Parts: sequence; structure tokens; C-alpha cells
Amino acid sequence: MSRDGEWIGDWLDEPGAETAERASAASDAVPERIETLAAVPNPGAVYLGALGRAGRAIVTTSSLTTSLPDVALRADLTLDRERLDAYAHLVGERALDTAPPGFVHVSVFGLQLALMGRGDFPLPMLGMVHVANRIEQLRPAGVGETLTATTWARRLVSRPVGDGMGTQVDLVTEVRAGGELVWQGVSTYLARSTQISGLTVLDRPEHPEFVAPTPTGGWDTTLRLSKDYAAVSGDRNPIHTSRLAARGFGYRSTIAHGMDTAARALAALGPRRGDAFTWSVEFAAPVLVPGRVAVGVERRDDVDPADGGTRAGYALTVWDPRRGRLHVASTLAHA
Amino acid sequence: MPSPTLPAPLRGVTKQLNRSITQALGLTEAVTLRRTDPTSVDAPLTAGPVLVIGQGEDADAVAHHLHDAHLDVRRNLAAPTQQRWGAVVVVLTDLDAPGEEAERVLALGATLRELARCARVVTISRAVGEGDAPATAAARAGVSGLVRSLGKELRQGATANGIELAAGVAVTDPAALGTLRFLLSARSAFVDGQLLPVTGPGRAPADWTRPLVGSVVVVTGAARGIGAETVRVLARDGAHVLGVDVPAAGEALAHVMNEVGGVALQLDITSPDAGERLLERVARGPFNGRLDVLVHNAGILRDKLLANMRPEQWEPVIAVNLAAQVAVTTAVAQAHPGLVQVSLASTSGIAGNRGQTNYGFSKAGVIGATQAWAPVLAAGGGRANAVAPGFIETEMTASIPTMQREISRRVSSLGQGGKPVDVAEAVAFLASPQAGGINGAVLRVCGQNLVGR
Amino acid sequence: MTSTTPTPSATSPDTSAVVRPSGTAVVVGGNRTPFAKAGGHYAGASNLDMLTTVLDGLVARLGLAGERIGEVRAGAVLNHSKDFNLAREAVLGTTLAPTTPAVTVQRACATSIEAAWDLANKITLGQISSGIAGGADSTSDAPIVVSERLRHTLLKLNRARTVPDRLKLVGQLRPADLAPVAPNVNEPRTGLSMGEHQALTNLQWQVTREAQDAVALASHTQLARAWEDGLFDDLVTPFRGLTRDAALRADTTAEALAKLRTVFGNDHPEPTMTAGNSTPLSDGAAAVLLASPAWAAEHGLPALARVVDAEAAAVDFVHGQEGLLMGGAYAVPRLLARQGLGLDDIDLVEIHEAFAGVVVATTTAWADTTFCSEKLGLPALGTLDTDKLNVAGSSLAAGHPFAATGARIVATLATLLARRKAALIADGGSPDTPVRGLISVCAAGGQAVAMLLEA
Repeated sequence: MSRDGEWIGDWLDEPGAETAERASAASDAVPERIETLAAVPNPGAVYLGALGRAGRAIVTTSSLTTSLPDVALRADLTLDRERLDAYAHLVGERALDTAPPGFVHVSVFGLQLALMGRGDFPLPMLGMVHVANRIEQLRPAGVGETLTATTWARRLVSRPVGDGMGTQVDLVTEVRAGGELVWQGVSTYLARSTQISGLTVLDRPEHPEFVAPTPTGGWDTTLRLSKDYAAVSGDRNPIHTSRLAARGFGYRSTIAHGMDTAARALAALGPRRGDAFTWSVEFAAPVLVPGRVAVGVERRDDVDPADGGTRAGYALTVWDPRRGRLHVASTLAHA
Repeated sequence: MPSPTLPAPLRGVTKQLNRSITQALGLTEAVTLRRTDPTSVDAPLTAGPVLVIGQGEDADAVAHHLHDAHLDVRRNLAAPTQQRWGAVVVVLTDLDAPGEEAERVLALGATLRELARCARVVTISRAVGEGDAPATAAARAGVSGLVRSLGKELRQGATANGIELAAGVAVTDPAALGTLRFLLSARSAFVDGQLLPVTGPGRAPADWTRPLVGSVVVVTGAARGIGAETVRVLARDGAHVLGVDVPAAGEALAHVMNEVGGVALQLDITSPDAGERLLERVARGPFNGRLDVLVHNAGILRDKLLANMRPEQWEPVIAVNLAAQVAVTTAVAQAHPGLVQVSLASTSGIAGNRGQTNYGFSKAGVIGATQAWAPVLAAGGGRANAVAPGFIETEMTASIPTMQREISRRVSSLGQGGKPVDVAEAVAFLASPQAGGINGAVLRVCGQNLVGR
Repeated sequence: MTSTTPTPSATSPDTSAVVRPSGTAVVVGGNRTPFAKAGGHYAGASNLDMLTTVLDGLVARLGLAGERIGEVRAGAVLNHSKDFNLAREAVLGTTLAPTTPAVTVQRACATSIEAAWDLANKITLGQISSGIAGGADSTSDAPIVVSERLRHTLLKLNRARTVPDRLKLVGQLRPADLAPVAPNVNEPRTGLSMGEHQALTNLQWQVTREAQDAVALASHTQLARAWEDGLFDDLVTPFRGLTRDAALRADTTAEALAKLRTVFGNDHPEPTMTAGNSTPLSDGAAAVLLASPAWAAEHGLPALARVVDAEAAAVDFVHGQEGLLMGGAYAVPRLLARQGLGLDDIDLVEIHEAFAGVVVATTTAWADTTFCSEKLGLPALGTLDTDKLNVAGSSLAAGHPFAATGARIVATLATLLARRKAALIADGGSPDTPVRGLISVCAAGGQAVAMLLEA
């Protein structure tokens, strides 16, 4: 008995009010092909592999492909107690039995890198800039829980960068406990100098003039902290830890890890974060190290425009107090 | 490739299964179900306009009530332009003989292609009563077969459920309307193919979106999974919650209870003085002696084939899942005779499940106890009901082998597993005053799982 | 309302807002983590993590989320300099109202009993109506410091302007200077560890190995029984997967204790101190809520026991006049004398078991007529009935995270007193009959704090 024979038909696929929503849901779907890895790869090893790969310039020129690999990478993981303690104490969180959302990000980051380091990934892994990150946490992930992370890429688009065009991509990672979706992250990366023809072109984002909010705190950035974050996150991209490398990419000095800066801003909110939320981060300008940044925590009733502006939460802003320059604009919207 | 190892009832789904398994075990959900947005509870109540099918006083009354609830109510079968039906309510309370239903049922059929995603079909009919004429009984009983079959035909997260009103219960009674609201709303996302018996009038809450304001609810097993989610939904609906769990789960329990501003009580419900200690805590602030609802959620699994079952697998399951519930309610009901009790049963207790003779015994026992408590608590103004979850994605079910888990997900009409919040919503509904007309019932939250009766 | 006449409620003073000296502070409830062994379950947890968690557990138990408490007063003995504002930082990490003020205090092992005492006084004076006393200590996360030479060199390096100057400075360093210096809990004045000090006291009071082992055995059996009885269901919240005190050995025996080798006083002729009759280094945190009776009633929470009085003592151990941990032999008799009470008036006694020898020497001193008259100018207290002593175990079995111990004892004793009182009334006793409990906590620097509770 085939249930298909009884199906009424595809009547719900007619264009309707939910078309847009369904369309985006469809592109969110996990690719059909899934490669299961024994573990989340160690980011350092992925970097080294990328650096050592002969015959393929990975820094500035684009690879041979112009489309995203239709594959997802999957690995089981458990959150590491010691690493969580170190992470929490570094960014200013309490080291509980459950992880802050940024720790889940660093715990699955190796999967993202492994995907970007593949030969069929169209953008150069090193030198890509993390421009935005959106994490939806349905419940906190616990230490020792068996989790499954699945990462895939979507939405390869062109976007104006300075006078030229760059290419941007979303890396989606789902973390599940059994079947239960616990955490979902979308990291948006930009390859500034890679241009692929034929992609959808995004409008140049509007940047309203930045008006600094009332600061509620701040911190000094140091190379030591960057190195500590590199150690605990595994993100040893030399742009964060070596001045020479940073200069190679056109920065005056090393730059702080974006997710480190964002996590410190989130930690400033403390326990009001709650357990279920959407944490959206936009990285406006890199934080140069050493230096000092200001953070502002503001309560808002309509914090997340992506959700129609109905959700209450907090705006968390990080900026350079001397130059009045925005570094990170982030929001925490309660579920 | 129909797998020969699959039991017969599952072969129909092998095609789907194979596809999903080749697609990396298809962990994506068939359709994302419409669930309650905590920042905008019950607003909007439905996914689109509501069509009320039927003529006469009852249909008019239902339409008026829904209109008063700020819904876009239509009586005209023509599809609304640019929109799909969020819900279709079929009023069948006047059925006296088979055949009288035809026009309305066929009218319903004509709307199905115009349903929105996660739309609702709800029938309102009369329950078969003692002394019904055979023709009347036949027509009334027929509705349940219609609803259960229709549930299996609907796609895209749409559900079909029915309300069976007992003699003397008017469609305008709060319990009838409250049940209708629940079935129309996102709260009932994973309730499908169910017929809810309404046997009393119930009471309308002051605020339909926060029906539990001011009430005190005790939830056992509150530290994790369905229990923790139940605490959150009850708090969202306005309740003061006392969360109970074993001392070893204290850290997680404290976290959950602080999140909702409730109180944590570390207590092993199988200890002889559990009821007494619970009452002691309720006697103190911030409850100050008030106790309205007791949710028996605490439960454990010790799966083993009966041939291999040992006392340490059988006894604790019965003690925690069943015996402790009876003992605690016995103690609590003496002090609070108007107690509203909601117990967690399971489809395993209804249909049975291999490797779960102990769990099945305990959960079938919960249903038996619920039916026995119903008249006892009703005498004091209370009631007892049970919620029977089907396959729910929790830490507990995460330990089930992948293949079996995947099958369990797919054998429901909604083609997926439920979420803890789906069970929590059903519990919160049964705890609410508008569910006052429901007593001794078992509400399945299973996405119309194929197993069971 | 159109009338311009103010309603009576608007004109009459809002008495609930005015805190009047109530003259009474009561213990309302407590919470602690199970105590872990140093480097064990809580190895990665900081004092701040533990204190915050323990406060959150207390909040959940008593339903205080979002509540503004009059004051949180807490501390740690081994404190990182970055945790200079530990108590307030902890408050900000909890679900208590962020408007709850906090004070970080330290009185060695008597830190949290000192905090409880301070709060009781403020409550008694009507300055605050509620307060949480607490403490956390982690010997696993103790601040590691650099050697003095390295510290000096680093400071100079900062000031040195030229590269040769810097190289010269670096060249002066020896490898040993670079090794981190672990925290030291030795007495700064004498250089002796607490154990060595206690070994001296044991000699002076002729405390036998058997007497010490008996104290240890009782501590373990009584703590184990209290766990079995569920006493700690309302006093402990598990932390990081640890659900019971890690040092507890429910199945230990006199024979097993007798077999342990001695660890302190080994240069004395007959050493008696073993790992079994000395407290293990521990990690953990504890907190206790005190309030005015009115506050407790308003929140529907119980007044477990009243804080009657407290007394601190310090002894001159530096010049060999008294044993380091003998402060309790002074504080307790003075406290009881002030209250006009004798040991017979006390129902339960809690003596912090820094070492089993402390318990034996302290109680021996209480009974010693010469000691009491010469050192205190008071009559001897008499012999303590050991049935009253540490009935739910103490630090030998539970462990002793320094700053947490006082709050652990205050909360546990208050609960025990309240139960005893309830049992008394259930047996037809008069509600006016007091049930009294006495606490003695010795501390580094020759100090001790004694406190009297009454249910």
C-alpha cells in the first residue's frame, strides 16, 4: 500500500501567501548529500591543510568552482567541560553546565572551516571576513550531551565592497540532540576580492550614521586575549594573532575575533539573556588590537527587525569610543 | 526496496523512509508546524480566515463567538480572495440520522484545497448518549470516523479534530468554546485525529491568552524535557509554578524555575512523605496554601524485553510513573478537594510498545487512575485528565536507535515527531478553567500516530 | 474619581515601607553545593561561578527571582584580585534583582558566619529586612602568583627604556623565579601549616589518636545518615554532576581510620593526625538567608531559628600562649556567660571540624576548671554530651571550602533546630520552650566566631 496514491495532490504548492516563507525554508534545507565525519575537525589542522595545499592559491584568487558544494558535513560532538570553563571565564560568562551560544559556535566552527576548505568551495577560506552571525538557541546545550552538528552553505551572492564586488555566503549549522533542534547558527562570510559572475547581486547595504548609545561598559583588547581566544576557540586564523599576517591582509595591526567581541558584549547582558532567544550580530568594522572598545546594553521592545519587530530584547553595541566608530551591532531577541 | 524487517503497518511508509534515509536520514522536518509565539500568544489565533459550515443556532453561535474573538469568520463557502482558510469548523450538533451530514461534509471537502499551511479542521458534534435512537447514535458515532480519516488525508501540517459535546452541554458553554479555541490555535500543533469529549460547562477565563493567571500549579519532573517545557508554558499562561524533581536534578531544576520566577522543590516523589512535603511547601510563600493544579509528569524509562526484565527495571518504573502519582494525589486531594490533575500517559500505554512492558503497564495504569480520579475529584469541583504524547523529540528519545527513531517520526499523519512544547500546551489547556468540562479524558498529542486505537 | 480628597491610604503613612528595628533576625533558608575534593568535580569552576550558582539555587528554593534583597554579604578566602568585588559580581550574575547591594567580606574560615552575624545585626537594627550571607572557596582555582623576584623584575622592565637595560634585567632572573607560586595557607606569622599548629595543640591537650578518629567516624556516619534522611534535599543543590559531598565515606570504620598514616606532627614522638581526622582541601560554596520575622512572614517563608547572639575571640598563638585553633574555647564560654546559659541549656552544638583535634581540645578546655578560671575568669562549662555534637556530620566528612563552612553550619543547624522544635510541639510540648543551638567556627590567625541560634 503506497500512501502516495492517496495524496490529494500538490495543491498546497500553488503560489500562496506563504510563498516567500516557504522559498526561504526550502533553501534552508540540508543538502541531500551528507558527509559524516568522525568528529568536528580541529580548526588548526584545517588551516594548515589549507595553507599547505599545493597548486591552489587559497588567499586571493578564487577556486575553480562558482557554485556551492551541494553537501553538508556532519559530526557528533559533546561540549568539552574544560574548554567551556576556559571560554566562559575568558569572555566573562558564568561557567555553568550549559553553554553560552558563542561556545556552541566555537565548538562546531571546525565543521564550517572544513566545508570552506574543500576543493569545491568557491571562495578562498583565508581572508574571508565574518560579516554577520545569527544564532537561534531553542534551549541551552548541556555539557556531556551527545549532539550532532550539521553544516552546509547556502545563498552565494555578490555584494558591493568598496568600489568593486565581493562574494558572500551563509554557512548554516544545526545542532541537534537526538532529533531535537537545540541551536542553529547562520554565519555570513564575505570574500572581499572574489567576484563570481551570474550571482544575485545584493544592494549596497545602507549604513545609517552611527550614533553611539550610552556606554554601559567597555574593555581593553590585547594580543594576549586574542591568543587566549584563539586557543579556546580553535580559530587560529593568523589575522588575529600575527601582526605580519594581519598586515598581509591590509590591516594596521591584528584584529580581534568577531565572535569574541560579540560574546563579550553578550556576556555584558548577564543572566537576562534567558534560555531561548535569537542572537543576531553584524560586524561593521574590525576591532584593532590593542585598543579599547565601549559596549552599550539597551533594552528594546522591538529589537529584531528580521522578525517583524515584535520581539522584545536587548541591543548590544560595541564601538570605538575615541573615534565614534561602530564595531558590532547585535541584538538579543527573546523567543 | 521494501525492507522485509519492517512490520506490516509500516510498509506503506518505506518509500518515504528510503528517500529520507538516503537523504541523510531526513532529519529535517516535513513541515515546520505553526506553534505559539510566546511574544504574541493566540494572536492571531488561526493561520487565516475561519469558515464555519452549518446552519442553525449552534453554527450561528459558534460563528458569533469566533467573530467576537477577533477572527475573520466567513459563512460563505467561496474561497477568500488572496487567502487560504486558516480553519474550517463544521457544526454537526444537529445530526439525527446518517445522511444528514452529507452536504456539510462535502462542503468541507470542497474547501480542503484552499487550506493554509497548518490549517485546522474542527468538527463539533454530539457524543453518543445513553438512550440515543439507533439512527442518531449511528450519525453521531460516524463523525469520529470522518475526523480520524480526514486527519490522515490532510497535508502541510493541517490537522483534523473533533469536539463531542455531551447532552446538556451547549456549544456556547466555555468548555465547548475553550476546546474549540485550543484546537484552532497554534497550541494544538501536534494534536491530530482526536475527538475531545466535553461533558461539563467549564468556566471562561478572565483572559483567554493567560487563562492560568493567579493559579498555583505543581509540576513533577520539572527539571528537563517535557516537564521543563510544561513549566514554561504554564508560566506563560500566568500560573505560579512549583517545580518538583529529584534532588540529583536540582541544578537544572533551579535554572528552569528561576527562569519563570517559580519555586524549586527537590523531592523524590516515591518517598513516603512526598505528598506531605509537597503540601508543606505549597503552604508557604509565594503560594500561601493555594494549589489548583497538579501535573504528574515525572516518569522514567527502563526498557527491556520482558524475558530479560529484572526487578530493578520493573519496580522503579511502576513506583515513579504510577504508584507515586496515586499516593501523592491521595495526600494532596485531601487538602485540596477541588484539585485539577493532569497526568502524562503515553501512546505506549494505549498501544503497547516492544521492550516497554513496564512502561506500558505504568502508563496504561495512569489512564486507569485518571478515569478513577475523575469522579472523585469532580465531587470537590476538580477533575482529572491525561495527556498521551506520541513520539516527542527529547533527550530521552534521543537514545533510541536512529532507524527506529526515524520510523517513529514518520508513522504519524504529520510526518514528524512532536516537540516537548506540544505536550506542554496540551497540559496547560487541560489545566485551564475553560477545560473544566473535560474530565476523565485522555488527550493524545501524537500527530495522529498510526499505532493504537 | 473626581473627588480631590485624598483617599485615606494615600495620606496615612505606608507602614510597610518603614523598616523599624525588629530586634530579631531569623534564619529563613539555606543552600550549598555538595562539597568537592580539591581538583575534583569543580576543578574548572571559579569562586564567582560557585557563589553565583549557590545564590541562584537559594533563589529557586525560596521563590525569590527578581527580588531585591537588603544585602548580600559574602566572600572567599583564596580570592583572585580580579574578584575584588566578588559578592556584588555574583549578585549581578543571579536572578536576584540587580539592585541588590552586596559586600565582599573575609574572615578566613569564619567568613560566612561573620557575614551572617553582620547581617543579623543590620536586620536587628532595622537597617535591612533581609540578607544573604555566603562564601565560596576553590582550592582548585586558587590564585597562582608569580615569585617576588619575577614581580619586581617585571615592574622594573616596565620602567626600563633601553633594550640593554631590559636584557640586563631579564638576565638577572633565575629559572626558579619563573615557577608559579601556589597559594599558601600556612600561617604567615609562624610559617607553620594549620595541621602543624594543631599537632602542637593536640600535644598540649593530650588529644589521642583514638579520640580524633572517633570524631571523624561520627562525622562520616552522621553526615551519611543525614543524606539518607533527606535533610539536605532542602539545603543542597547539586553542581556539575556532583550530588553529594565527595569526601563523605559512608562505609568508613574505626579500623580503617586507625590504619591511616599520620600526616602532621610527624616530628613529635607519637604523631596522631591523619588524612582521616583532618579536613580535606575542598571546593564549594554555601549561602544562608536571614531576615526579619516580618519579612519572612510577608514572603510566606519560615523562621527556622532566631540569631540570638554571637561572639568572636582571638588567641595569641604567635607567642605560644595558645593553640592556633583554640578560639572556640574562648568565644563560646564568653557567649554563654553573656546569655546566662550553660551547656545544659543547649540542645545542639556545631563545632567546625577543621581537625578532629580541634573538637576534642575545645570541648576538653570547656570542661577544664583551671583553663576556664585562669584564661577566662569563668567557671568551667562542663562536659559536652556528644549526642548533641555535630549530629548531621561536619567538615571532616563534608569537606571544608573555607569561606563556605560558616553558612553551611548556620543553615544546617537552623533547619535541625526548626525540626526539633516542630517535633517537640507535635509531642505536646510548649511552643514557648526554646530549642537552642550553638556554633563554634575556628579560623586562621587564631580567631573563632561563636553564634547562638534559637528555635
